[in-house]
Amino acid sequence: MLNIIDTSFDNCIKCTVCTTRCPVAEVNPDYPGPKQAGPDGERLRIKNPALYDEALKHCTNCKRCEVVCPSGVQVGTVIQLAKARHDGFKKGPREFILSHTDMMGSLSASTAPVVNIATQLKPVKKLLDKVLGIDQRQTLPKYTYQTFRRWFKQQKAQQTRFDRQVSFFHGCFTNYNDPTVGKHLVAVLNAMNIGVTLLKKEKCCGVPLIANGFFDKARKNAQLNMGQFADTLADSECVLATEPSCAMTLRDEYPEVLHVDNHAIRERILFAAAFITREFAKGNKPGMKPLNLRVAYHSPCHLIKQGGVIHTMELLNSIPGLDVMMLDQKCCGMSGTYGFKKENYQTSRNIGQGVFDQIEALNVDYVVTDCQSCKMQVEMNTAHKVMHPLTLMAQSLI
Amino acid sequence: MKYDVIVIGGGLAGLTGAIRCAEAGLKTVVVSAGESALAFASGAIDVFGIEKDNALVEFPFAAIRHLPSMHPYQKVGTGSLQQALTFFTGQMAAAGIPLNNHGQQNHGRLTALGAIRPAWLSQEGTVSLPLRTSTEDLRRVAIINIAGFRDFQPALMAAGMQQQPGFCEVEFILADIKTETLNINTRNAYELRSLELSRTLKRDLFSQPNGMNILSSALQKAAGNADLVVIPSVLAVEGGNDLIRQLETLTGLRICEVATLPPSLPGMRMASALKQRFRQLGGMFLEGDQVLSGCFEEHQLRSLKTRLNPDMPISASHYILATGSFFSQGLASDRHHMTEPVFGLDVETSQSRDQWSDSRFMDGNQHNFSHFGINTNEQLNPYRNGQKINNLYCAGAVLNGFNPVQEASSGGVAISTGWFAANRIIATMPQAEETC
Ligand SMILES: Cc1cc2nc3c(=O)[nH]c(=O)nc-3n(C[C@H](O)[C@H](O)[C@H](O)COP(=O)(O)OP(=O)(O)OC[C@H]3O[C@@H](n4cnc5c(N)ncnc54)[C@H](O)[C@@H]3O)c2cc1C
Ligand code: SF4
Ligand code: SF4
Repeated sequence: MLNIIDTSFDNCIKCTVCTTRCPVAEVNPDYPGPKQAGPDGERLRIKNPALYDEALKHCTNCKRCEVVCPSGVQVGTVIQLAKARHDGFKKGPREFILSHTDMMGSLSASTAPVVNIATQLKPVKKLLDKVLGIDQRQTLPKYTYQTFRRWFKQQKAQQTRFDRQVSFFHGCFTNYNDPTVGKHLVAVLNAMNIGVTLLKKEKCCGVPLIANGFFDKARKNAQLNMGQFADTLADSECVLATEPSCAMTLRDEYPEVLHVDNHAIRERILFAAAFITREFAKGNKPGMKPLNLRVAYHSPCHLIKQGGVIHTMELLNSIPGLDVMMLDQKCCGMSGTYGFKKENYQTSRNIGQGVFDQIEALNVDYVVTDCQSCKMQVEMNTAHKVMHPLTLMAQSLI
Repeated sequence: MKYDVIVIGGGLAGLTGAIRCAEAGLKTVVVSAGESALAFASGAIDVFGIEKDNALVEFPFAAIRHLPSMHPYQKVGTGSLQQALTFFTGQMAAAGIPLNNHGQQNHGRLTALGAIRPAWLSQEGTVSLPLRTSTEDLRRVAIINIAGFRDFQPALMAAGMQQQPGFCEVEFILADIKTETLNINTRNAYELRSLELSRTLKRDLFSQPNGMNILSSALQKAAGNADLVVIPSVLAVEGGNDLIRQLETLTGLRICEVATLPPSLPGMRMASALKQRFRQLGGMFLEGDQVLSGCFEEHQLRSLKTRLNPDMPISASHYILATGSFFSQGLASDRHHMTEPVFGLDVETSQSRDQWSDSRFMDGNQHNFSHFGINTNEQLNPYRNGQKINNLYCAGAVLNGFNPVQEASSGGVAISTGWFAANRIIATMPQAEETC
C-alpha cells in the first residue's frame, strides 16, 4: 500500500514557520516539529527506512502546519502517510475502541443509559485508564438513547414536502452521542425552505481511523460513502456536514491521504455553514429575532484548514443582537481521540491552555465552536458552556 | 459575503489599517496568507533614520519634508504620519505593549551585530541609546548569552559595537549562562532557536516559583558591575517586556534585550498584539487563506477570489492591499518584468533589468529594486492598465517611491499608509463613527 512516493514535500524552503506554529511542538519537547518530521525527515526516510523517527506518533494531524506553509507543503499529510508506511501507529485495543466510532456507537446506543452511567463511574474510569490507557480524568462523551437517524425517521414525511432537498452527512457524534446539532440543522434549513434527507447508509468519515492508523478501514469507509454520495446527489443539491473534521476528510483527506478520488463531486460536499451563507448571499435568509448575547468564537483547526471560519463568522454575524468576538486562533489540544489517551492527557491540556486562558479572561455568555471535540475540551477545562453556531441560529429563528 | 472593508495582508500596514477601520465600526476582514515581515523585524519602529548621503537623521519629521513628491510620506503628509504613530502607540498600549519615543527625536537601538540604528518607537524591554552615543555613562557593557544558543553571538556584537565611535573606550564583558544553571532541559541546545528557547524557559524555569530569582542571580553573576547588560530576546513572546522589567528590579541592572536572528520575538510580540487588538474590536482575521485574484468593474474592485473558497467570492465596498514586498509575495519578478501578482496592478520599475540591483549585493549601496512597487495617486489608489481603481488603496512595503532599508523608514511608512488608507475609507462611509 502507498508505494507511490510523492516528492512535493521538496517544495519546502526550510523557513521553519510550520514548526513555530505546531501546537504539539510548542508544548512537547519530544516532538521535533513538522519541518523535521515532515519534509526533512521524508528525505531521510526515502533513503533508508531505518531513519524513521518514532516521535512522529506525537503529531495530531491538526493541519496547522499546512495552513501556514508559504510553499504549500502538505506537511500533516506527509507525516500521516509516513506513519502508515513505516508502521508508526500503535494499534492496540484502545486505539480500536476510540477510532471505530460508528461501531462503538451502534453497540452503545441501544444500551445508552447503562453505558453512560458506567463510563462516568470512578471504578470504571479507573479500569479504562489501567487496562486501556484511556485517561480517567477525561469525561467520556455520553451516548444518546435515541440516535439521530431514529429521530429523523419521524421527520421524513415532513422533509419531503420541500421542493429543494439537501443531504446531510451527520457523522458519528451527531448520530450516537448528541443529535442536537443535527436537529438544529434541520430546523434552520427548513426555515429556509429546504428539506433534508439522509444517506441510505453512512460510515464514519474516517478521521479517527486515520488518526489511529486504520487506513484500510478508513479507505473502505470512504469508498462506501462515495457510493452513497453519488446516489443521493441524484435527488439532492449537495451533501452537508456539520462537523468540521468530517467535512475536511470528505473533501480533502479522501484524495490526499486515502487516495480515494472524489473530484467529480467534491464541490457538492460542503461544510453546512458554507452552504447556509451561500444561501444568505442569494437572499434566502430566514426570519430571526434578536439574541442579546455576547459570545466568544473558537475556530477549530480543521475548519481553519478548509477556509470555513469565514462562513461560520458570517452565520453568527447574521444573528441579530449577537455580539461575537473571535478568539485568537489557537488549538484546544483535544484533537479528537488524542486527548483521551493517557500519555497525551497533559500535552493535550498544555496545548489548550492558551485557549482556556483567553476564555477565562473574557466576560461572555457562551463560547461558540463548530467542533464537538473542541466543545468537550473547552467545557472540561473552563467554567463556560459551549454552543454550536447552528444552535444559536435555531434559537433565533422566529 | 459582503463586508465594509477587506484588507489583504496581515502585516504591520494591513493590521494598522484594519484596526483603524474596525475601531470606526466598519465590518472589517483581514485575509493573510502567512507570516508577515514582523516575524523578522526588530520590534522597534523606524520612521526616517538615514539620509541619502548616509547621514543619521536626528529629527525625522523635519527631515521628511525634503523627500521627493512620489515618496509615501509626501502623499500622507507629516500631520497624518504623526497622528498615525500616536494612534499606533495607543493601540499597542491597549494591547499591553507600551512603546517609548523621544518626541521629535530619533533614538538609537542596538542590533545583534552591534550597530546602532536610528528608530523612533521602541519597546520597554530595550534601552534607547542616544543616536551618537557618548561613553559618559557607559563604561562597562556586558553581553550575555545562554550557552548553546547560536542565533546570537556576544563576541560578534561586541566587535560591531567597538567600531562605533562612542564605544571604543568601553570595556566589554562577554559571558554565557549555562543551561544547567537555569535548570533547563535542552537535550540539544544547537537545535534551539529563539522561539523554542522561550518555550523551554517557560516550561522549565519560569514555571518554578523561584525561576526569576535563578535567572536574575545568574545574570548578576555573569554581568558583574556592568552599566548596561545586553541579552538576546529569548525570554518570551507575550509578556517579554514585563520579564525584562522584573529582572531589572531583581538585579538592579540596566537590561536591554536585542532581537536575534529570525524568528524575532519582539517582532512576533508586536504582531500578536496587533491581531489581538483587531479581534477585540470585532475584526475577523482569516489566517492561511490567500487572495488569488479580483473581479473589476468600472474602475472598482468588486470581489475577491481566495485559495480556500475559490467558488465563493468575498466582497466589500473598499479594499486595502498590504501584501508586502518580494519576500511576502506582494511583488513578484521574472527576468524582465516586475509584477503585482494578485490584481496585476501597474508597478513602477522605471529602469531596465540590468539596473535593478547593484552587482555587488552587500557593499552598502542601495539596490534600485527596493524602490520599486505599486504606483499610486496621492490618495494611495493604484492603477490597473492605466485606470485608477477608486475603492482600492495600497499600503506598506508594496508601495513604490521609498527605500525602506536604506532610509530606515519601513515601520513608519507601513503604519502611516495603513492608517491613511483606513481614514480615506472611513471618510466615505456614512456608518463609520468618527473617533479620531
Ligand atoms: C528583516 C526585517 C527587519 C525589519 N526591521 C524593522 C525595524 O527594525 N523597524 C521597522 O520599523 N521595520 C522593520 N521591518 C519592516 C516592518 O516590519 C514592516 O512590516 C514592513 O515594512 C512591511 O510591512 P507590510 O505590512 O507592508 O508587509 P508584510 O509585513 O510583508 O506583510 C504582508 C502580508 O501579506 C500577506 N500576503 C501576501 N500576499 C497575499 C495574498 N495574495 N493574499 C493574502 N495575503 C497575502 C503575507 O503573507 C504577509 O503576511 C523589518 C522587516 C524585515 C523583513
Ligand atoms: S499536523 Fe499539527 S501536530 Fe502534526 S506537525 Fe502539523 S501542526 Fe504539528
Ligand atoms: S512552513 Fe513549509 S516551507 Fe517552511 S519549513 Fe515548513 S514545510 Fe518547509
